[in-house]
Amino acid sequence: MRSLRPKQEEDRDLAPLADGGLGAGVAQAAQRSPVAISRAQIRRPDRRDRKQRAIANSILVLLGIGFLTPMIWLIDAAFSTHASSALSAPSLTFANFGKTISEGAGGAIGNSLYLGIVSTVIATVVSILAGYALSRHRVPLKAFFLLSVLFLSALPFQLLLIPIYEIYVHLGWLNSPFYTSVALAANSVPFAIWLLKNFIDQVPREFEEAAAIEGAGSVRILWKVVVPLAMPGILVASILTFINAWGAFLLPLVIDTNPADTPAAIGIYSNILADAQIQYGPLAAYAILFSIPVIVLYLVCTRWLHGGFAFAGGVKG
Amino acid sequence: MAKIILEGVSKVFKDKPSPAVDDLNLEVEDGEFLVMVGPSGCGKTTTLRMIAGFEVPTAGVVRIGGKPMNNIWPKDRNLAMVFQNYALFPHMTIAKNLAFGMKARGEPRATIAREIENVAGMLGIESLLGRKPGELSGGERQRVALGRALLRRPEAFLLDEPLSNLDAALRAQMRLELKRIHAQFPVTTVYVTHDQVEAMTMADRIALMSHGRLQQTASPEYIYDHPANAFVASFIGSPKINFFQGALVRDGGGPRVTFLDCSLELTGTAGEAVERLPHPNVTVGFRPEEIRLAPASGGRLPTVKCVVELVEPLGPETILVVRAGEETLVCKVPARSGLTAGDVVTLEFDTSQAKLFDPESGSRLN
Amino acid sequence: MSADLAHRARRWRPASAGPGKLRPTTTLWMFPATILMVGLFVAPIGYAIYLGFTNIELLGPHAQVYNFTGLANFDRMIHDPEFWSSVKLTLIFVVVSGIIAQTIVGMALALLGQRANITFRATVGSVVVLAWVLPEVAVAFLWYAFSQAGGPLSEIIRRPHDDLLSTVPFLIVCVANLWRGTAFSMLILSAGLRSVPSEVDEAAQMEGAGYWRRLFKVTLPIMRPTIVTNMLLITIGTISDFTLVYAMTGGGPGTATAILPVYMYIEAFTYNALAYGTAIALALMAIGALISVLYIHQLRPELRKAQ
Repeated sequence: MRSLRPKQEEDRDLAPLADGGLGAGVAQAAQRSPVAISRAQIRRPDRRDRKQRAIANSILVLLGIGFLTPMIWLIDAAFSTHASSALSAPSLTFANFGKTISEGAGGAIGNSLYLGIVSTVIATVVSILAGYALSRHRVPLKAFFLLSVLFLSALPFQLLLIPIYEIYVHLGWLNSPFYTSVALAANSVPFAIWLLKNFIDQVPREFEEAAAIEGAGSVRILWKVVVPLAMPGILVASILTFINAWGAFLLPLVIDTNPADTPAAIGIYSNILADAQIQYGPLAAYAILFSIPVIVLYLVCTRWLHGGFAFAGGVKG
Repeated sequence: MAKIILEGVSKVFKDKPSPAVDDLNLEVEDGEFLVMVGPSGCGKTTTLRMIAGFEVPTAGVVRIGGKPMNNIWPKDRNLAMVFQNYALFPHMTIAKNLAFGMKARGEPRATIAREIENVAGMLGIESLLGRKPGELSGGERQRVALGRALLRRPEAFLLDEPLSNLDAALRAQMRLELKRIHAQFPVTTVYVTHDQVEAMTMADRIALMSHGRLQQTASPEYIYDHPANAFVASFIGSPKINFFQGALVRDGGGPRVTFLDCSLELTGTAGEAVERLPHPNVTVGFRPEEIRLAPASGGRLPTVKCVVELVEPLGPETILVVRAGEETLVCKVPARSGLTAGDVVTLEFDTSQAKLFDPESGSRLN
Repeated sequence: MSADLAHRARRWRPASAGPGKLRPTTTLWMFPATILMVGLFVAPIGYAIYLGFTNIELLGPHAQVYNFTGLANFDRMIHDPEFWSSVKLTLIFVVVSGIIAQTIVGMALALLGQRANITFRATVGSVVVLAWVLPEVAVAFLWYAFSQAGGPLSEIIRRPHDDLLSTVPFLIVCVANLWRGTAFSMLILSAGLRSVPSEVDEAAQMEGAGYWRRLFKVTLPIMRPTIVTNMLLITIGTISDFTLVYAMTGGGPGTATAILPVYMYIEAFTYNALAYGTAIALALMAIGALISVLYIHQLRPELRKAQ
């Protein structure tokens, strides 16, 4: 909770005691050695607070365990030789990982990587250009454009699914990882534009003006001046787009039915469908492999790029 | 029995090496208006918060009404507090703000309405009852905060720099109002401020703090006339007291202190105290009103010739800032004395008021 | 400055230079984004609105050549009991396991985090956030296995032979959604909690108010805009959520968990009725828009103040 008390008031009254030694003398008088207070006394929370804190800690731990339990199963299963849906002591083997990779997880993850990278590149480039233009240039109907951009981010994806499918049928763009990436990029572009435009707004224009005086053309200015300065925002937008594409399920399911193109998301799903023959161990390993890049990217986002994760609430399957 | 007693109270914060409050012993009498005053960081607000219960002392005991309160939550202490930023509930109307405490205590609706009417009338805020705090001015909000405190009918009032967010005129007016309210409802009050004018005008007693330690506790007049150390002498009184470096001179005719070009005879206990010093340095203090224009015909008081640097006419009197050699001093002269910068004047010191301090420890010697 | 440089510097005009003609670079740079958004967002929306009034199919006679059928799809929808059952499921899914449950649990975590030790807060917070970060399919698999007969959940509630996805599928799906989504509320509400001035809470304490009175009469009302915004965001995120439910249950058993996005997919791609699926999607959008309007209505005083 934020306190309203003013934080820094200058210590103005002791200073003017100019006459030599006086300030020091008074300060010394005021700082006779304090009553001995042990370190333990200071560190021990006050008695009445302790009870409150203990209750809060306990409930928090209970909730934490509740959230943790499913994940414990996952790790347990991934590292057990004969994993089942029951919890058992893990035998600390990497066999499941090997097995799932050789059974197709590797290829599928490769496909996810393709989708992720290509869609991110497309979306990032497109959004930087548009975001910069919206930030610096006069664009007709700018307000309308920005508002619709925000609105589009909030639209339920279901509405677009069938029309996009039909469009792709007419264009012959089905079953192509590349065009799937294009669609995934388009999905993330509105939000990325909004993010980047706001970010570039905060980059001082002086740098660009200085470069212009030096004779740099618009493209060079963008590439050499703006992009490096806006890099944190660009990285956040890229990472969010990548995470979106990595976990994309519905769109690839519909517009790319070629089994060779199956991304990991759908790969895991098809294994669940197998139901009676589910091999929990390898599948758990698959799920973990699938999740690790996202977790790493999320950590990168929060540690070094400070946020943007609040926006990731819009991540759709 | 004193209403609020602080026994050896100290507060050390985890990340700060020196204590915020250091071995404080203070008693506030029932019905007394005590002002805790001192520069920023002196520990007065921390002390107030310990009385209120928001901080727990690291050492010592806080007693209210005789009972030890260290581990009692603020809400159970039956105190009322007025915060510097008023802390009104922004989402409630003024009426609901005022009613909040009574509702929490389960008072019947008729009582609540009646009490609110009384207090609103007394503070002149009846017209504001339907509005929200965001629509009120600073002064109005402050009255509401006061009203909320009054309605609590507490054992004691705690006020944390309540006037510091108001403009000067409003502040002067509120000082009077607060005194008037206190006269009407003589509830024990602890008032925290950094403004020594507020302290002097409002307090029954002043508790002056610095660096977490209590420097002196006394009535305003007493603190003014008999400061316990150089810090107190300097903090209380505006314009500030003048300090001069003096030297003890022992020659045949009894102990003397010389400062500037003047000489001061020391008598009685003063002389003994000065003699006991391990060094011959003494700080001499004179308040501006104790340095006057010397009468033309000369007198028995030591004088010094100075050059006027600044003339500040206040109306009923004028403040002069003068230079004597390398020292600057401030004195008061009658209004319209016709002096300007650059004039040479002779000032005399009212030695009967001289205050002597030990330059090392700051404590008063006479 | 050479003539060439001056010329170039003039050509690059900062935005503050006032109104001017639309520059070629602007058009060029906006072009890819506009194409993508018009082609893959705006056009599809219009196309969807059109398709909802046709009889297009996935395969078969009406896949290539289809006709305008007016309100036939919507007529079918209104009389379709499975549709209304899906609407009901969706509302429960969004409102109960989304808005209500996630707000409460998120709020609880935020409040507890305030009072607890920093290590506890950080650790539990990380776990909760981890649940949110995991890809949806992974979460679906996780909860699928977790609720199998013999799995940990059935062990915990001591019915080891119950396949919970068959017996209480909707409940499991709701719990999984809650598990996954709570972190978002926790983060937003924690931030909101921190923005409540501590002096206001202290003043309430001095007035003698206990913890719960302070929470409900002071803290939460002050946090109202944050809470409502959070609910809006939860709604937007949950109402179009397909993957979690579909990957866990495929909408079943039967249509027991067929929330609208799932129902739409089933009708369009399993039962071949693309047009009907589009109509359902339109209905979904309408419901989403309606709820958003309600929220914005709630936030009106704050929005007005922000102007």
